[in-house]
Parts: sequence; C-alpha cells; structure tokens
Amino acid sequence: MKILVCITNVPDTTAKISFTDGDTKFNKTGVTYICGPYDDYALSRAVELRDQLGGTVTVMNVGEADSEQVIRKCLAIGADDAIRVNCEPTDSYFVAEQIAVVAAQEKYDLILMGRESIDYNGGIVHGLVAQMLGIPSLSPVMKLEIDGNTAKMTREIEGGKEDIEASLPLVLGCQEPIAEWKIPNMRGIMTARTKPLRVLEPVGEGLTVTSKYELPAPKGACKMVSADEAEKLIDLLKNEAKVL
Amino acid sequence: MATQFFSKRNLQFLLYEVFDAESLTKYPYYQDHARETFDMVLDSAEQIAEKMLKPLLTEMDRKEPQLVDGKIRIHEGMRNIIKKFGDDGWINAGFSYEEGGQQIPSTVLNSAAFIFQAANYSSSVFPFLTTGAANLLRSFGSKELQEIYIPNMYAGIWQGTMALTEPDAGSSLSDITTTAEPTDSDAECRPGVYKIKGQKIYISAGDHDMCENVIHLMLAKIKGGPAGAKGISLFVVPQKRIKETGGGSNGINTTNIENQTSNIEHRILEDNDVLTAGVYHKMGYKGAPIAHLMVGSNDNTLGYLVGEPHKGLTYMFQMMNEARIGVGMNAAAIGTAAYYASLEYAKERPQGRVISDKDISKPQTQIIRHADVKRMLLFQKAVVEGSLALLTQCGLYADLAHVTEGEEREYYHLLLDLLTPIAKSYPSEMCCLSTSAAVQILGGAGYTTDFPVEQFYREARIHPIHEGTTGIHGLDLLGRKIIIKNGKSLQLFFEELMKTIEQASEYESLKPFAEKLRKYLEKSAGITQHLLSLAAADLEVFLSDATLYLELFGIVTIAWQWLVQGIKAQEKLATAQGDDVNFYQGKLATMRYFYEYELVKIDGLARRLMSSDNVTVEMQSEWF
Repeated sequence: MKILVCITNVPDTTAKISFTDGDTKFNKTGVTYICGPYDDYALSRAVELRDQLGGTVTVMNVGEADSEQVIRKCLAIGADDAIRVNCEPTDSYFVAEQIAVVAAQEKYDLILMGRESIDYNGGIVHGLVAQMLGIPSLSPVMKLEIDGNTAKMTREIEGGKEDIEASLPLVLGCQEPIAEWKIPNMRGIMTARTKPLRVLEPVGEGLTVTSKYELPAPKGACKMVSADEAEKLIDLLKNEAKVL
Repeated sequence: MATQFFSKRNLQFLLYEVFDAESLTKYPYYQDHARETFDMVLDSAEQIAEKMLKPLLTEMDRKEPQLVDGKIRIHEGMRNIIKKFGDDGWINAGFSYEEGGQQIPSTVLNSAAFIFQAANYSSSVFPFLTTGAANLLRSFGSKELQEIYIPNMYAGIWQGTMALTEPDAGSSLSDITTTAEPTDSDAECRPGVYKIKGQKIYISAGDHDMCENVIHLMLAKIKGGPAGAKGISLFVVPQKRIKETGGGSNGINTTNIENQTSNIEHRILEDNDVLTAGVYHKMGYKGAPIAHLMVGSNDNTLGYLVGEPHKGLTYMFQMMNEARIGVGMNAAAIGTAAYYASLEYAKERPQGRVISDKDISKPQTQIIRHADVKRMLLFQKAVVEGSLALLTQCGLYADLAHVTEGEEREYYHLLLDLLTPIAKSYPSEMCCLSTSAAVQILGGAGYTTDFPVEQFYREARIHPIHEGTTGIHGLDLLGRKIIIKNGKSLQLFFEELMKTIEQASEYESLKPFAEKLRKYLEKSAGITQHLLSLAAADLEVFLSDATLYLELFGIVTIAWQWLVQGIKAQEKLATAQGDDVNFYQGKLATMRYFYEYELVKIDGLARRLMSSDNVTVEMQSEWF
C-alpha cells in the first residue's frame, strides 16, 4: 500500500490575524503554525493502514521552507518520507496541480488529505487532484477500511451518513472520526530528523493574486432585554437592527 | 474549568532566549538534537497533557484511591496514561541510546514534566517515580538486577517507588528500623539476597492496580551493620518477585521461565510478602495513592542488595536530589495552573468600579482593573515564573555537568548542589501562598469546588513536606552546602550573581535593579559570615533559624533569576512586535514587582538573623 498524505501548514486556531504590505499579505510574525487538523486525521489513518497492511506513507506539502517544521512533525507521527513543493500555495488549483504532478509520477494507491484546510477552507483540492489524475474522489470520509483493492468507507452526507465502496486508487478528503490523532513518541521525534525530505520546484504558476485582505467587522455590543419587555425587543429588532 | 494552565511562550522564552538550551547540541552527547526536536518534545507533552491528563484533574481529586481486598484501586484512566508514558518512551527519554533512551536534556524534559504537572499533578507522578527508581538501579544496581527490572519499568508495566519513610523515621532516616538479614546463613546460600522485615509509610504509588508489579527501592539496615545512617543499605524489594526455579544466581533464574503476565519478560511472578496495610486519605494530591506497607510480615520478603552494603543513603541521595528539583517543578506547575485560572477569572468577572470613577450608572469593571487584584496576580506571576526560571537554570547545570569534564564539571555540580535546596523549597513554600492568592482573587467562588483553584491550593501544600521538609533543607543549606569545599559553592554562586549584575548594569533601565541586587547580595554575604561565626560557639544557635536563612537565600536567588530574565526582556523589547511587546513588558513589570515587594523582605529577615535574641532555643516545652 503506497499512500500519499497531503497536509496544509496553517495558523494555529488561536492565532491573532493581521495583515501587512497594505493588507495584501498575511502577517506571519508571532504566529504558530500547525498541521491542518483534518489533515492530521488523514495522516493518522494512513499510518494505521500502513502498519496494518505494510507499504509506505509519504507526506506532501505545497509550501515555503517555513512549513518544514510541521512536515517534520508529520514524520515524527509516523510518515516514512516527505515531499515539499517549494512555493507559496496561492490557490487551490495551483496546489492541486503540484500534487497531481507528483502523484502521476509516483503512482499512489491512496491519496488522503483533510476535507478542507482551516485557513481558507476551500475544500476542493481533493476533487481537483482526482480530476487531474482521472480517478475518483470522495469527501468527507469518516471511516476507511481497505480490503484488497477496495476501499470501504463511510462518509457524511446531508442529513446522515453513507456507506460506500470504491476501487483504488482514490483521492479522499478525511474528517473525524476516521482515526484518533496521533501524538509523536520519543523514538518518532528522534527519527524525524533523519527521514528523507525531498524539495521539488513547482510546475506552472499560481493563477490568483490577493489584492486586499479585510477582517470581519467587530461584533456589536450585546443588549440585554428583560423577558417581560417583549415590546421593547420588537422595537429594537424593527428600528435598530432593522431585521423585522 | 479554566482553559490555560501554562504558558508555552514563557517556556520558549526561558529555554531558548534566556538559557539557550539549543547550545547544548554542540556537545557530542546531545548532537543529534536541535530546537526542532525540543519543540516536538514539548508539543507532544502539551498534547498528552491536554487530551489525557487535564480531563481527569477534577475527577481524580473526587474519586480518590481506595483499599479494596488488600489492593489499592486508583482511577481507571491511569491505565492508559501509564501505558502511554511507557509506550511512547517518556520514562527513559533522558537516558542514553544504549539504554533505549533518547538522550533528551534535563532542561527540556523538566519543561515537559512541568506541562504534565500543571495539567494534573496526581497523574503526572506515576511515570516519573518509575524514572527515578530506574535511574537508581541503572546507576548502582548489578547488571543482573538491571536486566531483570529495568525493561518492564521503562515500558510502564512495572511501577517504581522509593521507600524510605517509616512510622518513627521520617526526616530522621538514621532511625529506620527495617531490617535486612542475609540469606547466606540459610541452607540455600544466595549472595546479595536478604530477608527484609519492617514497615514503610507514605510510599507514593506504593501499590495500585494499573501496573503488573511495584518495584520498591527500599532502605533497610543489614543486621550487625554500623549504627545510624552508616548502616543503611539499599534494596530492590519487588511487590511480586520472580519465582525461583533453581539454578540462577541471586535466586533468579532468567532462562527457564514461562510466559505469565508481562508482555516483554517471560517470567512467573509470585507474591513477595509486601502487604498494603492502608492507603492514606490526603488533603490534596488525591489521585495518587500513598501507601502504608508491611514488609516481611510472614517472614517471606526477599530484597536484592543494590550496590555495596551500607551505602544506601548515599545512593538514595542521587535520586532524592533529582526528585527535589522535581518537587520544586511540581510546585511551580501547580502555582502556574492556579495563576492562569485566577487570571482568566479576573479578566471576565465584573465587580465594583475603579476608585477614580465610581459612577453607578456605568457597568461594573472587570476585577483585573483593581490595583489589589493586579498585586495578587503580579505576586503569583513573580513567584511561579521566577521559580520556573531557577528550575530551568538547574536543569541546564545538570545537563552541563553531564557532558563536561574536570573543573568545568565540578563547577556545574557545585552550583547545582548548592541550589537544590532552594529550587525545592522556594517554589514549594511560595506556591502555597501564590495558590492562596489565586483563591482570594476568585473570592467566595474560589472557596467552592465549582472552580479548580481550591484544588490547586490543597495540592500545593504537600510540597514543603515531601522530599525533605523545608526545615531539613534549611539545615542542609546552612549546615552543609555553604561550607563544603571551604565555601567554594557559595563563592561560585556569588560570582554568577555578580556576572548578571554587571550585564544588567549595561542597560540604563536595569541599573537600579542591578544595584539593589548588589546591595542585598552584600547583605546576605554579611549575614552568612555572622551565622558561620556562631557555629563554633553553639551549633544549636547557629542552626536555629536555618529555615529563615533558606528563605533569605531563596529570595536573593529568585531576584537573580528575575534580573536574568529582565536583561533578555529588555534586549528583545527593542525589536519586538505584536504580542511579544506585551510579553516583554510583562516580564519587566514583574521584575519590578519582585524587587519592590519581595526582595525587600530580606530587610526583615536580616534583622532577625543578625539578632542575638535566641528565643526559639531558650523557649521551654513547658512554657507552651
């Protein structure tokens, strides 16, 4: 079983967001980066499948050199080797293109990634990669078992769940509870430094340029209205909030 | 439940900006490491703490261990935690590659332990007790004992303990009465194997149902040996011993034994006559059992001598010195968790209005705006971050002593040895006060079990007691540490402080602090000379206020650590951006607080220590 896990290098959920260069660039100063939480699920399941079925897990990131810290953590969790495509991940299509080029060469049985990143939350890279490779894509996958050449999955659908089977190779967007997040152990941490990490140059160019970032407007103050003052509440909704 | 229980930013500040832990990687022993490795160790610790330890903090306090049918039952959640620490290699992480460890520096491992302790102190003690016991065995035990016991201890399958205290011998270990009788007078001669008989009390993790076996590193006196401390020997006394099938030395056959219960050793275990007579119900720290053990009640307890006879106390002091740094870290961690819980509350709780604006029509202000609340928060921050800095400094000295040779090694050893009683006692004593301040900030809410601060307050209280009471450490510092090698340790310590004072004097804004520390350092030196001059005339008078001397020494030491932090904060502030500006400003303000509110307490202590009124010596028991 040859598995590729694509990971994102994203700001920690507690990071304070600000911009530089006339609000055209994200301010990375003082921001802690983490592996996308959904990618973490994908990686954990990939490591479990590798341990169960044999084979290899390669972790891949499209990003600049500062993402190597997160890549090394993925190696500490259990991936065997890593690939970084050395560029700024400007848009989903560009990222998918880089993944597809590598995947087309390496012929993976499974390509796993999170159902979406937690910075831009596009959630389309798995679909784009599958389209480029001409293989099926499913998301969000909550359960994954491999039986021979068949993947048996449960995925979340509107209002419920769906059990589904498909032949390998596949591209899957993953979410909880596909596996429990793994915490790097001491041996994993020590071996992570010596596991191979290949750096590739990108193909093509990003299609988009950010012209301006803007933070959402701050939340308004909360007005408390006593339960016995329904008329006052209606008045506020009509005349102040103007939602009635 | 409070969300934050420690500050990763502060750990990074201490490890990388103040103490440059990365510089350890230039030594061959640590050359395979990098900041990346250290960060990953701390990240893993944080994840384990968040996901496994912290969720059980309150529950382990409410459901304390019980003795059922002769066995102590602890919280079921500890099974996974102990297994995790064993499986993931935490128990032996600091040991060499040859021993299956990863050679992680103490500086980093202590910081990881701090995270565990801040999340849930009770749950954190089990694996690290095993580390301490295993460390004794690897240092002094025979190869055979090491091969038999250490692998299962590293794997978390067997629990390690240190069994010292007895009903009539706590601080005074020279009075222990547990005996060891050689079996070589038996028909079946077994060199190194002794029959052990006695009682041990307050044995942390001395018995529980989440490990297959408990391995006690126990002090006992060999019959016919010298009296007092010189007759104390160290033994491995397992709760279950390996069944003798004949042929092996030390009564242990390692080749012809069937698989029974352990996953990694194929041996049959049998009862070793170590009975659990009781479990103590404690004020805090309730999740970890403290056992009363009856040893050899049926004349059937075998103990295996560690090292040479009569050297047990010397061996045990190695473990105790490490454990003492650990106790200081525990206290600082609990104090830190209490600080963040009270800080979070103070930021959210509206109550009253600021003194300068009492307009009743305006909403109440968050209590963090009240100067007295800020004082209590500053007090906690000053104590816990000052303590953590000292403990990190001690970790660094331990690592440097490990990788250097000759005079350089002695230099670090002497400093670590001198600072150990302070690193144990200052956080222990002061975190009782700082957790009290946390309770005070929450007011009535803090006194209820709806908030965690009352638990932190109770859990802090054990630390001035275990691993040598504060009184014992006062005697150790004044009666021993400052005079060994003709006061060389003290001289080195003063030189270290002078170096920091010189460095600080290069910054205009830090000069007043440097001058204050110089003044109090000189005052402390004068007091030390005065006390030493009393020793020849009357030892009892000389040592009567050793605890106060320890307190004074602790304040000077933490003031030094605050100046060390202040230098780095001042340096970094010049180029800091975003949240870092607040972080460094916070450090400098807390240093100011320490020098204004804590360092000056030396004046009162100095007056007492220089006084010739010996009231505590002269007071008669009958006068109480």
